[in-house]
Order: sequence, then structure tokens, then C-alpha cells
Amino acid sequence: MNQNLKEIIEALIFVSAEPLSPEKLKEVLADFPAEEVEKALQELLQSYQADNRGLCLVQSAGGYLLATRPEFDPWVRRLLQIERKTRLSQAALETLSIIAYHQPITTSEIAAIRGVDSTGTLKTLLEKKLVKIVGRRATPGRPLVYRTTDKFLLYFGLNSLEDLPSEEEIARLLEERDIEQS
Amino acid sequence: MESTEIQEGYQVRLEVFEGPLDLLLFLVKKKKINIHDIQIAVITREYLDYLQKRERINLDREGEFLFMAAFLIYLKSQMLLPREQPALEAEADPRRALVDQLIEYQKMKATSSLLRQKEEEQLRRWLRPFIPPQLASEEEILEVSLFDLAECFYFLMKQKENENFKVLKGREISLEKKMQEIISLLEAQQVIDFLDYLKQQESLEEALVAFFCLLELVKARLVIALQESLFQSIKVWLRRDSQAEESS
Repeated sequence: MNQNLKEIIEALIFVSAEPLSPEKLKEVLADFPAEEVEKALQELLQSYQADNRGLCLVQSAGGYLLATRPEFDPWVRRLLQIERKTRLSQAALETLSIIAYHQPITTSEIAAIRGVDSTGTLKTLLEKKLVKIVGRRATPGRPLVYRTTDKFLLYFGLNSLEDLPSEEEIARLLEERDIEQS
Repeated sequence: MESTEIQEGYQVRLEVFEGPLDLLLFLVKKKKINIHDIQIAVITREYLDYLQKRERINLDREGEFLFMAAFLIYLKSQMLLPREQPALEAEADPRRALVDQLIEYQKMKATSSLLRQKEEEQLRRWLRPFIPPQLASEEEILEVSLFDLAECFYFLMKQKENENFKVLKGREISLEKKMQEIISLLEAQQVIDFLDYLKQQESLEEALVAFFCLLELVKARLVIALQESLFQSIKVWLRRDSQAEESS
């Protein structure tokens, strides 16, 4: 076995412009048995967790990537001279969460849940590539059907759509709010 | 001068709410009303009070608020109507749809606040999107939308314009024939460069028909059209599994 497999994987993740998927990793490291690649990857993940580093190895949008640790954000921003990163508007966030949970979904279905027209917001989300058009529905008017993208997962640090807050989490949050209010 | 300021003050108050459902949910919470058993009369009064604080309503942006007001009044009237056969089975509660909508809305509010937390957390992590420089040979392929295709066509026509490409011939070109031509060309060549293909067309009319054919073929999911980057050529392939998918 190659002693450096773990380090090779680290190098590959470092140069990847987008999350490096396990499949891609195994394809590049085809010379090594798949289980050894998997083992080395797990070791690498553990060592990143155990050691105190400025970077962390995260799993997002179905792959691995290196990111700075959140607590060092103030220093990074000072270096890059960025006051604050822009956040999504409330309308954008609401529309996005509807799409995330109800996809594939049409504009009118989104509007029905929000109670307001969402065309403008949807356009912004399309421009930001957080959602995409995946086709048309075979109903009258043949409305466009929307889904979230991989960039959506990356933006919220989710590995897959299964990582979205579950029904229980939502219910718990609603209960907490009721208690706060009473 | 002062009066406009006051008006703006009201405006801000309504704009705090993302929509009529947001306002309604706020009132339900404020009045401590059980969401499953809303007293329509109470909530309608509260809701209308809120709207009446405004001297004028911008129909473009606040029409939805009025629509909800009308719906509430309708519900109220429904609740007042005597039922001929009271409690005949589980008679449909006229409030049902509104309650469902409010619950769904409340859930969406919760998920978006959870997503907001995740966003905050993610915004404090920095990735490295600017590096590394990709090798030039690496073709980045992205699936193009119809808009990109249309833009590309426009771009080409602009080029042709400079070449004084204006003569319209009277020859009729059928869409079917052209589609057949494109398909057989694809079968022979695997891939065609659509800009080159358009350039080979004899007339503007023929080029137009060819372009419509491409749109049709993409729509029918018979071919795949890919563009490396904006304003570049579009490559066209036959779709292997030319069966309609998605659009549940």
C-alpha cells in the first residue's frame, strides 16, 4: 500500500475547484483498491477533525472540499477587505425553501404557498444559479418546473437534499416559538 | 410634506410583512388565536384595521393584501350563513383551506429561518473559488437554455447582417425536412457545430428554419445542445435515450 495515499487525497481536494466526489476520487486513484482509498479518506477526515487547523475538510453537495474554519472569518475578511458577505433577501430565502421542500414545483404553486407573486424573486434565484428550470409540466399552460441546484447545496453547506431540516426539526422550532410567545 | 412622511411610515409597516399570509400569521399570534380554530370575525376585523391605517394602497404591490381581505370577508359571510342540515357528517369547514395555507406558511417560515442559520454559518466559511487556473484544453460544458440558443442566433444574424445577407429566396423549406436533415447529419457526424451549420445555409429563411428545428428537437428531447461559454458555438448531439423525462 502506498503510504502517501492520505496525502495524495488531500492534494486532490486542495486543487479541486468544486466539491470532489468520492466517485471522481476513486476514478483518479484507480491504481489503488477502492477500499483503501475509502479508508485513507476517512483517516484524512479524522485527522482534520482531531488537529487544530485553520482549515477544515467538509462534505458538501456530494463531495469533499477544504474551507476555512468559521471562527476565523473576521481575519479572512480583514485580509480580503470585505465588510460583510451579502445574504439572501427574506423573499428569496422563503421561495428557496419552498422549492427545496416541494420540488419539482411551478411558479403558481410557489405563489400559492407564499400568498404573493414570486416571479421576480425566482428570476434572482435563477441568476444566482441556486435554482434551475428542469422542464415543463404537462398541465394546461405547460408551466415551467423548478428545482434546486448543486450550488444551492453548496451555499447552505448541505451534502444532499436529505440534509435539509427534517419535519421533526421544523416542528420542534415551531413549538419553541409558541412557548416563547406564551 | 409632513403628511407624505406619515404615509411612508405606514408603508413601512406593511412592508415589514412578506405578504398577506405573513400579516395574518402575525395577527393570529398577537391575538393568541388557535390556528386550527380561527375566529374569522376577530381576525377579519384585525386584518381590516391594519389595512385601513393606510390612506392609499398600491395595487401593484399590495393587491394580494386586498385579495386576502376580500377572502376573509367571504369566509365571514360563509360562517354566518345558517346551515340547512347542521353537522351533517363532517361538513366541510369553510376555514379549512385558509388554515391549511397558514400552517404550510408557518412551516415554510420555520424552514427558511433554519436555512438562514445555515447560510450565516456558511458565509463564515471561505472556499477557494478563484484558484486553480483550469487548463485550457479542459472543455467546460454547460447545458444551454433556449435563451442562450436564441442569443446565439441573434449574434450570428448580426454577423450575417454585416455581410449584406438579405436576399430572401422563394424556395419553401419545410420544418420536417430540415429536421430530418439535421438528424441524419447528426447520425453521420455524431456532433455538429451549429454555428457552422447555420453559416452553410443558403438563405436567411433556411437558417431561420434550421434554428427553429433545433429548438423543436431540443424541446422534443431528441438532441442535446451544449455551449462552452456565452456567444460561443453550440454543439449538438443526438440524445441517446430520446425518451421524454421529468415534468412529472
